[in-house]
Amino acid sequence: MSPDTIRMWLRERVAFYVERDPEEIDPDVELVEIGLDSVFAMSLSGDIEDEFGVFVEPTVAWDHPTVNALTGYLHDVVVTI
Amino acid sequence: MTYRPFALAERIEDALGDPADEGNVFSVSRCLELDGREEFPEDICAHLDKLGLPRFYVPVEHGGDLDTYENLLQVIRTLSRRDFTVALAHCKTYLGSVATWVAGTPGQAEGLARRVLRGEVVSLALTERDHGSDVLAGRVSATPSGAGYRIDGEKWLINNATRGDLVCVLARTSPRSEARCHSLFLVDKHRLPSGGYHHLPKVRTHGVRGADISGIHFTGAEIPADAMIGEPGAGLEILLKGLQITRTLCGGMSLGMGEHALRFVAGFAERHRMFGRPLIELPQTARVLAESYADLMVAEAMTLVSTRAIHTLTAEQSVISAVVKYYVPTIVDRAVNRLAKVLGARALLTDGPFQKLQRDHRIVGIFDGNTLVNLNAVVNQFSGLVRGYRRERVDHDGLDVAAGLDLAVPAFEPDRLSLLSRGGCSLVQDLPARTGAAMDAAPEHLGRLRRYADGLHAELARCRPVARDVPPEMFDLARRYAAGYAAAACLRMWADNGLDTLWLRVCLARVLGGRDEAVDRLLPVLRERLDDRRPLSLLAYRSTH
Repeated sequence: MSPDTIRMWLRERVAFYVERDPEEIDPDVELVEIGLDSVFAMSLSGDIEDEFGVFVEPTVAWDHPTVNALTGYLHDVVVTI
Repeated sequence: MTYRPFALAERIEDALGDPADEGNVFSVSRCLELDGREEFPEDICAHLDKLGLPRFYVPVEHGGDLDTYENLLQVIRTLSRRDFTVALAHCKTYLGSVATWVAGTPGQAEGLARRVLRGEVVSLALTERDHGSDVLAGRVSATPSGAGYRIDGEKWLINNATRGDLVCVLARTSPRSEARCHSLFLVDKHRLPSGGYHHLPKVRTHGVRGADISGIHFTGAEIPADAMIGEPGAGLEILLKGLQITRTLCGGMSLGMGEHALRFVAGFAERHRMFGRPLIELPQTARVLAESYADLMVAEAMTLVSTRAIHTLTAEQSVISAVVKYYVPTIVDRAVNRLAKVLGARALLTDGPFQKLQRDHRIVGIFDGNTLVNLNAVVNQFSGLVRGYRRERVDHDGLDVAAGLDLAVPAFEPDRLSLLSRGGCSLVQDLPARTGAAMDAAPEHLGRLRRYADGLHAELARCRPVARDVPPEMFDLARRYAAGYAAAACLRMWADNGLDTLWLRVCLARVLGGRDEAVDRLLPVLRERLDDRRPLSLLAYRSTH
């Protein structure tokens, strides 16, 4: 799976939660600043599991706090399995 | 058949002596006196130390007696039944210690264990003026300094901030505003240089008037590096995990105070005569007492299964603890307020315990994560709960042990705590199968429960997750989820422990709304037990007890 595919999916997902268009989600801006608070950001871990079939910690978005950081991390995880 | 943790409750109760005997250190009248003077129950807490209660705040692996959380629950319940100011003041040491038990190194845990076993007081300093429940906004900072850190800033509205020997402090280790910007520190006040901190005066409160609810202000307080619990930036995560345990145990506070209220009002209704007969025999009073008794047993069913789940369904505790912390104090508040009406104006008399426990109980819904915080925690997990229900995913081993009171729970493994429950909630997800299997016993109630759960999850599935400004409808769904959980707890408690079907019908009717006339049949059981100081428990409905 290419990083672009993962990035696009993440932007859509984040956009859905904060009720904006995916194009408005700057992949280098921290999710907290985009409006996804840290407790809510844990929901992403469930979505990631459903979408990519990989196990990630609920705190994944805390440790990789932007769309690009998450993309890099997920790309490594998805490639490894 | 007895439930083993009740043997502990009885031992404590016996050691404390008759609460009505003014000669006892820990008597109800003495607690009322102290409350009237807003005075801390110093000698009572010292007495509890002498009795060895701090042993129950320390896990067995660190030299204490905390093996199953059921025992700690009964300690909290037994103390709360007598006086909540005392319970809150004393049990707070567990809240202050839990982060170290969950995430500390073996060395940190052993060091703290020695202190707690000596009777030292440990406090948890989380909240700050102006931020309240929003702990992430906290400004107290820990800055690297020499070989350790220096702490600056003020924690306020902290239980035992002044009395505490040690304070577990959530402090900012990064100036940014994100989940990894806080860390936890176990600060030993005895090792701080003078001038490194001062206390803020005790605040005057509506309930628990004698409690040491105060604050602490740090000014360049130097602490060693090994005061940090867990990794830098892990503060929030550790804290949320620890709260999953303590929020569940808060159920014991409501159970204790609710029982005190029910006993007091039922006792009054036995003695007080109206229209030529005891008040307790008037239908309306009888109904309030019986329904309150049923409510307490629902709360108990839920609290017992959830406390056992700390050991057996550990990974689901993010849902379970939030549901218990919302639902149990809420229904017990309601019961206490209805019981107040039986007393009429007497509920307000300051020489009686009722006005105090009514004030005190209101606080349970506020501290340690208020009602909205807990409902929000459920809202955030809706999608996982829907998925789990649709798939009827149940951790059968974990759920069977949680529900079967005679089964021994395995040792608690803190590493299994998770901020999000991947598998949803086994107890609720077991409902389709369990209501089906038990249907013949109470077809009307169980059919209704099944439709309730199906309908609720259909609505949950239609919810669009939102990151902010959670709409009121979603809080309402979380409330209904909690009621569904309560009903499921009653069902499994009944099925796994041989309880009377009358009990199940009455409890389900209380939870789901509507009325089962059978509730009136609870009253004789309650009246029989008023002179007995053993816990008023659902175990009275065990056919083989």
